[in-house]
Amino acid sequence: MSVREHKLKVGVSGVRGVVGEFLTPALTTALSQAFGTYVGRGRVIVGRDTRPSGEMILHAVRCGLLAAGCEVVDVGILPTPTIQVYVAATKAQGGIAITASHNPPEYNALKFFNAQGLFCNTYERGELIDLWHQSSFHHAQNAEMRGVTTELVAPKKLHFERVLSHVDVERIRRRRFRVGLDAVNGAGSLPSVEFLTEYLNCELHAIAVDPAKPFPRVAEPRPDTLGDLSKLVRETGCDIGFAQDPDGDRLAVADETGRVLDNDDVLALAVDACLARLPGDVVVNLTTSSVIDDIAARHNRRVFRTPVGEANVVERMQRAKAVIGGEGSNGGIIFPAVQYCRDSYNGMAFLLDLMAASGEPVTKLAGRLPQYTRMAGSVAYQHGRLAALMQAVEDAFIAPHVDRSDGLKLIWPGHWIHVRSSNTEPILRFAVESTSEAEARALFERVKEFAA
Amino acid sequence: MSTRALRISHVGLRGIVGNGLTAAHILDFASAFGTFLDLPATRAPVVIGRDPRLSGLMLREGVISALLATGHDVLDLGVVSTPVIQHAIHRLGSPGGISIGASHNEGSWNALKFLGRDAAYLSTAQATELLDIYHLRKFRFVPFNELGALSRDNTAIDAYLADLAAAFDFERLRKFRVVVDCCNGTSSLLLQRLNEQYGFSFILINAATDGRHFAHSPATNARTVALQLAPLIQPLQAQAGFLFDVDSDRVALATEQGEPVSEELVFPLVADHCLPQAEGRVVITNLSTTGLIEEIAARHGGRVLRAPVGRQAAIDALSAFRPGQVALAGEGTGAIMFARFPYIYDGIVSMFTILEMLAARQQPLSAILATYPRYSMLKGEVPLATTRIPELLMSLQEEFTGGTMDMSDGLRMDWPQTMTQPQRWFHVRVAQTEPIVRVICEQRGAPPHDLFQSLMDHVRSFS
Repeated sequence: MSVREHKLKVGVSGVRGVVGEFLTPALTTALSQAFGTYVGRGRVIVGRDTRPSGEMILHAVRCGLLAAGCEVVDVGILPTPTIQVYVAATKAQGGIAITASHNPPEYNALKFFNAQGLFCNTYERGELIDLWHQSSFHHAQNAEMRGVTTELVAPKKLHFERVLSHVDVERIRRRRFRVGLDAVNGAGSLPSVEFLTEYLNCELHAIAVDPAKPFPRVAEPRPDTLGDLSKLVRETGCDIGFAQDPDGDRLAVADETGRVLDNDDVLALAVDACLARLPGDVVVNLTTSSVIDDIAARHNRRVFRTPVGEANVVERMQRAKAVIGGEGSNGGIIFPAVQYCRDSYNGMAFLLDLMAASGEPVTKLAGRLPQYTRMAGSVAYQHGRLAALMQAVEDAFIAPHVDRSDGLKLIWPGHWIHVRSSNTEPILRFAVESTSEAEARALFERVKEFAA
Repeated sequence: MSTRALRISHVGLRGIVGNGLTAAHILDFASAFGTFLDLPATRAPVVIGRDPRLSGLMLREGVISALLATGHDVLDLGVVSTPVIQHAIHRLGSPGGISIGASHNEGSWNALKFLGRDAAYLSTAQATELLDIYHLRKFRFVPFNELGALSRDNTAIDAYLADLAAAFDFERLRKFRVVVDCCNGTSSLLLQRLNEQYGFSFILINAATDGRHFAHSPATNARTVALQLAPLIQPLQAQAGFLFDVDSDRVALATEQGEPVSEELVFPLVADHCLPQAEGRVVITNLSTTGLIEEIAARHGGRVLRAPVGRQAAIDALSAFRPGQVALAGEGTGAIMFARFPYIYDGIVSMFTILEMLAARQQPLSAILATYPRYSMLKGEVPLATTRIPELLMSLQEEFTGGTMDMSDGLRMDWPQTMTQPQRWFHVRVAQTEPIVRVICEQRGAPPHDLFQSLMDHVRSFS
């Protein structure tokens, strides 16, 4: 079975492609000019991660925005959440982050933010893409042409101060935690070092914090990609280890033994720390662990579930005025008091705060979470087979609760199955969770048989 | 009929930004150029620079992105004149360069000018290849780990001026009192440095380079000189006045008496000074330039070769000769190329050449000009449907006879001096940017009103 490789994707959060033949300078400029036309003449914030193609794409973006009559504020290499915070705080018309997030280094992408620093929603995106397809751009003439200014310091400071206004900084600083960091040589490299040492007085042991070097590991921070961090934490006797993706929105955490925590448990710990301080409900996606429901129940809060995707979670959070949210499986923690976006810095701050407040090691904190066995897999499917596949799964597993808002989620007391198609590729993703390890394994094997 | 606001030709890409010339054109053309240029083993960078027009910022961004994407390292010189870019290409062994700037066009225009390995504008053969790549839009984009890198250099003007100081006797030229109208262009930056670092005392007007405001049109002709520059000369007791276009490759001037000098006289004046010193004897000019140039060249044993109007034709004419054979090339727009700064239109060099001439002759500018015989030129324009142009040219051949004909660019007819009539010529050609027929005729001595009138009547009968 052959599956087409999607080397250019106009998708959920922006446009992503393999640099060179697919994501070309001309395409990038046209899109940026469409964006500049869409948000209107005024300031647009532009930043990027550390990918080698970042500079080439940056100049194409600046070209398109200037051509549309926008003033470009170039914030340099910064984490995506920092850019989003800065867009919202400075009342810019919008922002563009040049990053393919967790994708491999041959990719790059444009992420578009509206004036609130939020990912453009489905309808905004539709209008933007229409402008692009129609080539109906504003073309500025010489007299209305604006310039490029750079702002390299203020955004980071603003972001970190906001994050830290929600934790007890002095208490963290006094503990002088020994912290391991793997920033994948990404946009977080320099900011995270500053965040952990200058702001939080940690004794830092860092690897992969050189933004000039290539990604030394798979860009997505997952338990199976973070061997170097585990080793670092063990060898230097760290209290905790943090790993980021190239644009610093996702976070993974290693405990003091070097074991990388399940991302759902990281989210659960952050939710726990947050709910202990602040009122409000929680929003997570359908694939996120039931551990969130248990934690929320401890604090007597509600949990709302949404389809997978940061935009979906954010929109529901706004509607529910939730205090925290996220997507467990991909390491995204969303804390709207700072900004409606995935933000690894909120995660780091909440975990260190929890450790400082409790005086307990990470193993102990994680150990107190309700224990679930989670398994996830994916297979490529042939175009057109998706609906039949879903139907077969639904017929084979009779469940008391069925949620069809994003693929198929079948829910029983104590366990669930979630089968869905990827937003970006013809791939079927499936996840199971159970309080019993044996049951989780059995379910996982059965679902895999159906999907294969 | 409206003016065409986008011109894509062998000379490059030129248009009114936002109204004809868009970011998409810039990306595609610069990608074509990046594909056209070989990737040098030395990784020498492609050199870019721009004039101060605001839109140049946008063009620069697109140019950088496209060159990086095609694997070239890029060296950005910032706001500099085209000759400074060419000088840097020579100095660094670059594969080529792009000058961003629309020269003598109004502020709303901008352009990309492409320079090859030898720092010269592309030959017609090279430009044809570039255009083919552009039209096919098949660009050689490299993979993510082979992209070029960007660097900046703000010392290029200093290196250029150092070489200029070696070519001219600055000690001797410093004493001149000169007023310059910079037309808010790059000459301002060069002349300010000459004042600060080399002890000149150029008096500059319209020296601000904010790129948004232009005091007046940067066309290098006597009419523009008369606007602001000429009236200042006598009050300031200057010995000459110079006016540069925005990227300072062209020059116009005024005498010490505050008289604007006809743009037609600039090239003969420069030739008069350069020819005796030059190794070569060939002078290249276009079909519309004054006949005085032949007379001046003849005084110094030179020979004039006339090419069609436009930079591309001059480039091609130059390439037909061995280095050293050509003394200089130029035209009635004040754009002159010298053997000593090879194949570069450089207004600054033109200015220093004229100052050198004043120093050598120990005469005021007006006195030197007074030694030249009078030539009178008449110019007219007639809008004409494009379809009728071939017919017009054929009928002109039938109507006006007895002279030497040149049909390489419209029609030029030359009549030698006779017992009853002085030497005269006319040139009828079609403008490159508009469907307009330009009529030029010139006579040694008094204006050829009769010839001009019958030419205009004839052309109008086709409109």
